[in-house]
Amino acid sequence: MRRKASLILLALAVFFAALSPLLRWYAYPRLAKVPAGQYQDMVLEAKDATLLDYATMTAEKVDRITVVQTLKGDVEASRKVERTTDRDVVVWDGLSYVQGPDGEMVSSFPERYVFDAHTQEPVHAAGEAVDGDPVRRGGIEFKWPFRTEKRDYEYFDAQARLTAPIHYEGTQDFRGLEVYYFEQTIPWTEVPLPKTLPVEGITAESVAKTGTTRWYTTVRRFWVEPVTGAPVYGEEIHREELRGGALLGDRDKVTAFAGHVKMREDYIRHTVDLVGSQRLVLLLMTTYLPWGFLVLGAGLLALSLYLEARGRRPGDPVPAEARASEPLSA
Amino acid sequence: MRALIAAAAGLALAVALVLAFTALGSAEGETSPEPLLTTVPSHP
Repeated sequence: MRRKASLILLALAVFFAALSPLLRWYAYPRLAKVPAGQYQDMVLEAKDATLLDYATMTAEKVDRITVVQTLKGDVEASRKVERTTDRDVVVWDGLSYVQGPDGEMVSSFPERYVFDAHTQEPVHAAGEAVDGDPVRRGGIEFKWPFRTEKRDYEYFDAQARLTAPIHYEGTQDFRGLEVYYFEQTIPWTEVPLPKTLPVEGITAESVAKTGTTRWYTTVRRFWVEPVTGAPVYGEEIHREELRGGALLGDRDKVTAFAGHVKMREDYIRHTVDLVGSQRLVLLLMTTYLPWGFLVLGAGLLALSLYLEARGRRPGDPVPAEARASEPLSA
Repeated sequence: MRALIAAAAGLALAVALVLAFTALGSAEGETSPEPLLTTVPSHP
């Protein structure tokens, strides 16, 4: 009976010991991915911002600018790209919709971002675009890879349509979560005019004809939870100017937008809760279960060996059946 | 010999379980019917 029990324990010990590395190095890399059908929205605000009134072409102080950012996974489009690339792909349609204090549209900025579901590396496929212009991203956008490292990453700036380093600036505590702080500065750069402008009759083409150009600079800050690679908080110190051309009269430049854009408080709380729960699931696969199974396997192996050793101890009484079958000798 | 068979059974079961679990994969989901927002949501 003891031999049988020790064999069962041995089988269980090997089962759990094998499960540990298989879970960490086989299952986790295949299962940790951004779902193709993800949908999420985010609200950011800039208080006491400066905004251009296109009717008078003068910059005005406003109480608040609101940015509504939506990301929506297109599952059919991702399946189509997967057939040609042989990778798990996510296609996100994004919209950054900016509202002035009166609720009127200030700008509407659509994007299509195609990326690898596991590594978050950009995937170049038809349809990759920013505000209707085809682009080729050279770095990540919106989300960092799972198991984010303490290093600089290449980050795509949609306004300037360029990829530049975003620097790792240290580890911090953000509302109970350990996060990596990243910062990117885009110096003053000439950028295309948005396709959608807030005043009827004024288009990007009509502005461009006057010789006026749009310039932009930003300091982008992200606090990224490293297990999930998800930003739990973000800020942008964003400035835009229109420069030169007949549209500005005798002025060299006018501020089109200036503000410190921050995530709204209720969205910060929601994001921290969401990322905290996703972090736990990923840690179960990478740390808690593999180590737990390894310890359990070792314990079961020790128990199995102990039972086996007890079953073989020389001082133990010989079973009655064995005694009965022993031959008699004179 | 019996110990070897028991260990092999444990290993085979672990491999089969992880392969099945991974093959099931994580759900892709469907494209959300929700629109890209042009109004400010009152809450997340």
